[in-house]
Amino acid sequence: MNSLFVAAVINSTLRYSTPILFAALGSLYCTRCNVFNVALEGQMLAASFAAIVTNYFTHSVILSTMAAIGAGMLVALLVAVFQISLGVRDMVVGTSINLLVQSATSFLMQVIFGTRGTIQGNGMVALPKLSLKIGSLSFVNRMFESLSILDYLGYITAILVFLYLFKTVRGFHLRSVGISFEAAKSLGVKSQRIQFNSILVSGALCALGGLAQCMGMVTVFVENMTAGRGFIAMGAASMAQAHPIAAIFSSLFFGATISMSKTLQTYINSYFTESFPYFCTVIAMTIFGIIMIIRNKRKGIQKSA
Amino acid sequence: MTDSSIKALQRKRMLQNILSPVIAILGGLMLGALIMLAVGTSPLYAYRQMFAKSFLDPYYLAQTLVRSAPIMLSGVGAAVAWRAGYINLGMQGQMCVGGLCATLVALFFPVKTPLTTILCFAVGMAAGALWALIPTFLDYKFNASLIITTLMLNYATNYITDYFVAYPIKDTAGDGLAFQSPQIDAAMRFFRFSKKNAMNIGVFVAIAAVVLIYFILKKTRFGYESKITGLNRKFASYGGIKSAKMMFTTMGLSGAICGFAACIEIFGARYRYVNAMFTTTGYAWTGLMAMLIAKYNPLLTLVYSIFLAGLSIGGQALQRAVGLPMQISDIIQCCITLFVSVKIVLDFTVFSKGGKA
Repeated sequence: MNSLFVAAVINSTLRYSTPILFAALGSLYCTRCNVFNVALEGQMLAASFAAIVTNYFTHSVILSTMAAIGAGMLVALLVAVFQISLGVRDMVVGTSINLLVQSATSFLMQVIFGTRGTIQGNGMVALPKLSLKIGSLSFVNRMFESLSILDYLGYITAILVFLYLFKTVRGFHLRSVGISFEAAKSLGVKSQRIQFNSILVSGALCALGGLAQCMGMVTVFVENMTAGRGFIAMGAASMAQAHPIAAIFSSLFFGATISMSKTLQTYINSYFTESFPYFCTVIAMTIFGIIMIIRNKRKGIQKSA
Repeated sequence: MTDSSIKALQRKRMLQNILSPVIAILGGLMLGALIMLAVGTSPLYAYRQMFAKSFLDPYYLAQTLVRSAPIMLSGVGAAVAWRAGYINLGMQGQMCVGGLCATLVALFFPVKTPLTTILCFAVGMAAGALWALIPTFLDYKFNASLIITTLMLNYATNYITDYFVAYPIKDTAGDGLAFQSPQIDAAMRFFRFSKKNAMNIGVFVAIAAVVLIYFILKKTRFGYESKITGLNRKFASYGGIKSAKMMFTTMGLSGAICGFAACIEIFGARYRYVNAMFTTTGYAWTGLMAMLIAKYNPLLTLVYSIFLAGLSIGGQALQRAVGLPMQISDIIQCCITLFVSVKIVLDFTVFSKGGKA
C-alpha cells in the first residue's frame, strides 16, 4: 500500500473526527455537571443550517460562524428551559428537540430556497484552510493538507475544556454539581444555574461541530446531514469517561471509522460501507464495556447490580 | 388527610390528565398558526383544509387510518420498553428488519395462502424482537448504552435492508427504476373494503393488538411488574422482580410489536418492501411522539396516533394545495410533545376552599 494513500486516509480521519470531537466535548461538559443532553444532534444540525443560509446570502465566514453559534445556542436554550427550568425528562426533551430541528430545517429550506435536499451555491465560502508544511516530507504534508482551522481548533478547545474543568475554581464547582447537586447547593454553588449554562456551552460547542461539518470539507447543507453524529459523539464522550483529552482519541477513532467507510466504497458496495461507522459504534461501545468490566474486576470492584 | 381531600386530589389529577394534552394540542396548533402567518398562509384556511383532507373526506380518512396503524403500533412498542425504564430508540431499525424478513418469507415460501401471512407475521415479529434483543444483551452484559446502540442500529439497519431491495430482491418488472421488492402474492394480502381507497383490515388488527397490549399492561402481573421496574428499579428488585428478565422481556416485546407494525404496513398497504419505506415516512418517530403525549398509555396512544396521522396526511394535502411545506405538521407534533411534558400546575379552588389538609 502506498504511503501517501495512508497519509490521505489519516488526513480524512482528522477531518471527519472534528465535528464528533466538538459535539463530544459538548456532551461531556454537560455530563460533568450531571446533565444528560440528548439534543446534541439538533444543536449541530441547526448550526449547520444557519451557517449555510448565512453563507449563501453574505459570503462571509465570520457572519456564518456567528450565525452557527447563535443557532446552536438558541436550540440549547430551548433544551435548557425545558430540561432544567421546567424539569422535563431528558430523553423526552432530547428526542423531541432533535425531531423539531430536523423538520424545522427542512421546512425553512423549502420556504427560503423552494427546494428539498441540498443547499449549494456559487460563491459560498469555506472555512480558512491551513496546510501544515514541514520541509519536504511529503507524507506529513499530505497528512495535514488543507485542513480547516476548526480541525486544529478542536484539539485546542479540548485542552481548554480540560483546563477549565480541572484547573479552575469554576470548573471545580461545575464538577461538584455533577457529583452531588444538593451538596454543592448547600455550599453556595448555584447548581441549577451551572446546569443551565452548561447546556448553553454545549450548544456553542456543538455549533462549532456543525460548522466544521457543513463548511469544512465541502460547503453544503444536506437535509438531516448530521445523520446520527450527535449520538456517535455521545458514545465518544462516554468512552472517554467524560474526560476532554481522552475524548480526542475516541473522536479520532470514530473519525477513522467514517474515513474508512468512505475509502472502502471503492471496493465494497456502498450500502455496506455506509452502515460501517454505525456498526463500529455499537461494537466499540461493547468492547469498551468489556475492558471496563475486566479493569474493575482487577481492582476488585464488583459490578453494581 | 381527610377522605374528601383525597377525593379532591384525585379529581384534580384527573382533570389535569385530561386538560394538559388539550392545552398542549391547542398550544401546538397556535404555534403552527403563527408559523403559517409568518410565511404568509392564512391559518384558518390552512387548518380547515388540513382537517377536511384528513378526517372529513372518506378517502382521506381512510388514508389517515391506514397511516395511523403502524404509528400506533410502534408507539405502543416504544411505550412497553420506556415505561419499564428501558429506552428503546431503535423502533425504526426493528421495523426495517421485521418488514424485510416478513417480505422475504412472503416472496420465497412455496405455499402462498392466507395462512402463510400468519407465518410471515411470526417471522417479522421474531426478527424485530431479535433486533431489539441484541442491544439489550450488549447493555445488560457489557454496559453498552442502550440509547446509543439502539439508535445507531437504526441507521445501520436501514442501509442493509435497502441493499436487499437495491440488489438481491429488486423488482425487475416495469421500468426497474424504483428500488423495491416484487409484490407479494394476492392471496396473502389483507382484505380491502373497497377498491377506491387503501382501507384494509390491517387497521382493525392493529387496533385489536393495541387493546390487547393495554390489557396486558394494565391487568397482568407482567404489566404491573414492568411498571414498577420503570418507577424504581431498586425497589422492584427488592420486591423480587428479576430485573434481567424484565429487561429482556420488555425489550423483546417492544421489538416484536415494531416488527408487527412493519408487517401491517406491508401486507395491508404497500404489498412490498420499498426502499427507505420506514425512514422517510417517519412512522417510528411519530409513534414515539404519540406515546409520549399519551404518557405511555396504549389506548391514548391509539387516539393520538390517529390524530398525528391525520395531521401529516392533512399536511401533505396542504403542500399540494397551497405549497406550504408538509413539515409544518412535524413541527406542530414536536411542539405538542414538548408542551404536554411540562407539568402544568393547575391550582384550582377545590383545594383552597377546603383548606390545606
